[in-house]
Amino acid sequence: MRSIVPRLAFVIAAAFLVYAAWLRWPAGPPEWSETEVQELRSLWLESLPALPPQPSNAVADNPVAAEFGRLLFFDSRLSGNGGISCATCHQPERRFTDGLQKGQAIGTTDRHTPSIVGSAYSPWQFWDGRRDSLWAQALAPLEDANEHATDRTEVLKLIAADELYRTSYESLFGALPDTTGGDAIAVNTVFANVGKSIAAFERTVMPTAARFDDYVQAVVDGDVENQRKIFSVDEALGLRLFIGVANCTQCHNGPLFTNHEFHNTGVISFPGDAPDKARVAGVREVLLAEFNCLSAYSDDPERRCDELLFARKDVSLIGAFKTPSLRNLENTAPFMHKGQLATISEVLDHYNDAPAAMIGHNEAKPLGLNTQELRRLEAFLATLNAPLTQAGESPVR
Amino acid sequence: MIVHRITGCCLLFCAALLFWPKNAAAHGGVVEEDDLCVIKVNYLRAHFKVYQPAVTGHKQYCEDLPVAAESVFVMEYQHDALSVMPVDFRIIRDVTGKGRFARMEDVERIENIGDATVFYRSAMVEPDVYIVNHEFTEEGDFIGIVSAQHPQTGKLYAAVFPFEVGFTGPGYWPFFIGLLLLVQLQYLLMSGRLKKCFGGGLAVAVLLTGGLFLPPAVSADELLVTYTVPDHKVELNRMHSWILHIEDASGGKIEGATIAVSGGMPEHDHGLPTEPRVTKDLGGGNYKLEGMRFHMRGRWEIVVTVITDNGTSVATITLQL
Repeated sequence: MRSIVPRLAFVIAAAFLVYAAWLRWPAGPPEWSETEVQELRSLWLESLPALPPQPSNAVADNPVAAEFGRLLFFDSRLSGNGGISCATCHQPERRFTDGLQKGQAIGTTDRHTPSIVGSAYSPWQFWDGRRDSLWAQALAPLEDANEHATDRTEVLKLIAADELYRTSYESLFGALPDTTGGDAIAVNTVFANVGKSIAAFERTVMPTAARFDDYVQAVVDGDVENQRKIFSVDEALGLRLFIGVANCTQCHNGPLFTNHEFHNTGVISFPGDAPDKARVAGVREVLLAEFNCLSAYSDDPERRCDELLFARKDVSLIGAFKTPSLRNLENTAPFMHKGQLATISEVLDHYNDAPAAMIGHNEAKPLGLNTQELRRLEAFLATLNAPLTQAGESPVR
Repeated sequence: MIVHRITGCCLLFCAALLFWPKNAAAHGGVVEEDDLCVIKVNYLRAHFKVYQPAVTGHKQYCEDLPVAAESVFVMEYQHDALSVMPVDFRIIRDVTGKGRFARMEDVERIENIGDATVFYRSAMVEPDVYIVNHEFTEEGDFIGIVSAQHPQTGKLYAAVFPFEVGFTGPGYWPFFIGLLLLVQLQYLLMSGRLKKCFGGGLAVAVLLTGGLFLPPAVSADELLVTYTVPDHKVELNRMHSWILHIEDASGGKIEGATIAVSGGMPEHDHGLPTEPRVTKDLGGGNYKLEGMRFHMRGRWEIVVTVITDNGTSVATITLQL
């Protein structure tokens, strides 16, 4: 009896040492199979196609509109108290996010501020996709009481009063209408054009190459030595998990690491808030929105609005949020639709557990990854950060 | 007193037998499991659960709550009866003295219900899912009252469920669920929807199903459904259209058919990201299918239901992306 205790202690200590050694044992970098190389290419920024055309916005790719939109984006006169601009929440130095759980403008918004980098590629805007274009999206916060808390009439007055704005507007859209008679359609048209200009600017906010993209270049070139220089072993193994057993690319696919679709992943509700219905309500809203692809304010005479016409609407969308990009997560914490999770490691733990959703159905399945694998995934995600510009801002094309 | 309690238990047991489907009854009572608060009667489905996210995260309760804290009551109706009815939700302190055996009559006898009310949300139509968020500040006995008003007749239906905060034990959730199911059934019967679904012809039922798992082909006639993608190759995250080509076993082109398209990823338990539709009969057995998009790699199934004068046929196209 006496002799069992030290023996047991020895066995436990030995088992622990073996486990610790296994966790820290240096592994070699992966060699990529043909299929994996194809998968890596699909995530490569070089594979990003040209921006999808935006026929509902005639000035979408007009540089004059983009410059006009840039001025509007940073102009805090576009608010009820003169202190809030788009950039209050979409801060360039934070990859166009704000570092808060929920956006803080004139009041507190309902959700976490999403980045706008690369958002021009998405057919849907907002976490719940309640708008179907950047120009329609840009208009909603302006009139939201918790955000800019201004209105379309005030916006029109500002454009008319500011010499530069007036000139820019008129060069793009023709003379500002006389709305003294209360012509609502004319006011709405000016308002929509303001949105279209802001959208033209936002279409220029694109991700730039990150270390990951250099790595894929080395993989494509078959340059193993360079691969080892660019990625640590952990980062490379994290990437293998990312495209493999961790199932990340089910949703985070393509060069922007998002499929732009809506998924319920069972994120816990925000304290004091009911669980968010998300897309199921968002799709209802976008179909009835005053400004959408099918509205009178679209510039497309053919009304090519397949996204709206074939939008899914059923209860499978309860609690489903738009997949965010994973590029440039640096300096964008907290995460998820209400900033519920403070760190990337909490996010990874969440997907590893995949708890049952409070409302609707969690599409994700538990992953069963160990701590080392989670650490490698986290290491890989950091390779998706592109350098900021010298001014400390996210690069603008 | 003991007799009273035994009678109450018998009633509870009988009610459970009446309302509960076999698979749920097999669990023998209310247990906190993922699927236990799901009640199914044919395709009718109601799912109830309560959370205390700040205290126990994703843990679900069907009945009593462990502590006084923020509590989220979720009622998921996966059939549309309750989703079109104005529903109100009230929580009162138990002033009836009946505790777990409090009924609607006891609640109606309360003289000033406002004084006992700790939470009230006035009647509103909540599509999709009904959610109530209430922060309990004290432990004790409470009664939840859910009322739903029939949109046509104006008749009011109510469900009462006593529960305790700061206690764990058996509750009266089965009554609550049963009453809500009755409300649903009553509504369906009155609005004639049940009749429509069962008696209105199988073809209509097939079209309405619209989900991933369509019923097997009604007609024995096997149809061959093939597709081509004229605009692009099938690639991830891009909206595109297909041309469906439909022939019968002897190579005869099927024209003028009504076609419903659904699908999804069986392994991932979800449907298509869009609702594609056949928008044009191109003749020669060809149909234009618009609104196709795939958002994940893996195995997809596209279920094509073809309805002709000769009956209904279902074909499944499998794609590996």
